[in-house]
Amino acid sequence: MRPPRPRPSRKAQARRRGWPDDSGAGLMWKFLVPMGAFLALAVLFALGLNPNRDIRALPSPLIGKAAPAFTLSVVEDPARSFSNASLEGQVYVLNAFGTWCAPCREEQDTLLEIAKQGVVPIVGLDFNDDRARAQRWLRELGNPYTAAAFDPDERVAIDWGVYGAPETFLVDTHGKIIFKYISPMTLDVWQREFMPRIAAARAAARKAGA
Amino acid sequence: MKPAIWLMLTMLGLGASSGALAGAATLDAKVDNHDQLIDPALQARFESITKQLRCLVCQNESIADSNAQLAGDLRREVREQLLAGRTDAEIFDFMTARYGEFVRFNTPLEGKTLAIWGAPFFLLIAGAIVVFRVTRARSRLPLDDEPSPGPAAPGHPGSGQR
Repeated sequence: MRPPRPRPSRKAQARRRGWPDDSGAGLMWKFLVPMGAFLALAVLFALGLNPNRDIRALPSPLIGKAAPAFTLSVVEDPARSFSNASLEGQVYVLNAFGTWCAPCREEQDTLLEIAKQGVVPIVGLDFNDDRARAQRWLRELGNPYTAAAFDPDERVAIDWGVYGAPETFLVDTHGKIIFKYISPMTLDVWQREFMPRIAAARAAARKAGA
Repeated sequence: MKPAIWLMLTMLGLGASSGALAGAATLDAKVDNHDQLIDPALQARFESITKQLRCLVCQNESIADSNAQLAGDLRREVREQLLAGRTDAEIFDFMTARYGEFVRFNTPLEGKTLAIWGAPFFLLIAGAIVVFRVTRARSRLPLDDEPSPGPAAPGHPGSGQR
């Protein structure tokens, strides 16, 4: 049996634990450093755990770069070809899709609605697909595309950095990709993200032309 | 009776063939139905490059491991570029130009990736400074709150009595 130890003073205890006390350094270690660490973690979690953030959506390195040129046959007719060079000087949308992609079916009505508004040409890029199936898809669901290019082995899609579907790109009058949206298109997204950019791109082109 | 015998024979055959071919080879064949590159040096580079490229569809797999369509098409791209005589660096540049730095599992050490590479060293040094400060503060403690030595304990401390 040991005799009971006398209780050390609080000050001595604090020093024992390595927390310098009643000095500027003590205040810093006791409050400012933990507070800073807490705030840093809070910001990190707020950004990282935001439920509206799509962790699979990646920023495209192609934004601001020239849209890759391509010439492909159209879905409807293997003998007829389409080249995006034919849209030079125009703002246009390129929508990458495939009949194997369920979310693409989901956005089809929206694309038809947008096509009806006739604001910009919509180019379809049907990749990794079967031509007959794609033709049936366009017949049955309706065809929103000015031209639906057929990219069976995904070469053009790879050039555009497509890694899923649907992905929708916006190209300006200089043939530059200015925006990319990954997910099924909605009218809300179209109004909020695409329309202002289309207007801005056209305004810039008019200014340059005037 | 007859189907049972056939089943047994099939099972035996499957067992023998999988044993002979080794599991890895059959798995590879499933992932990638292209032929191996004839040049073993090119094939080695192909394997090394595809292991360092991320499959964008199943983001924690390399395109060497993934069965996704995109991974297969990117492997085809790597294979064709190797055959066309491109260097490893050119192939990585091709991929990052389309898919961004995220496509690389091996992050190159550059200006903008300095934070990623530096963070572990920064944390290690910061931790060392904290440990140093704490131990130094402790070592400077006066021993004023140590218990005064009581009556001599029976036996040597550490002799087994606790």
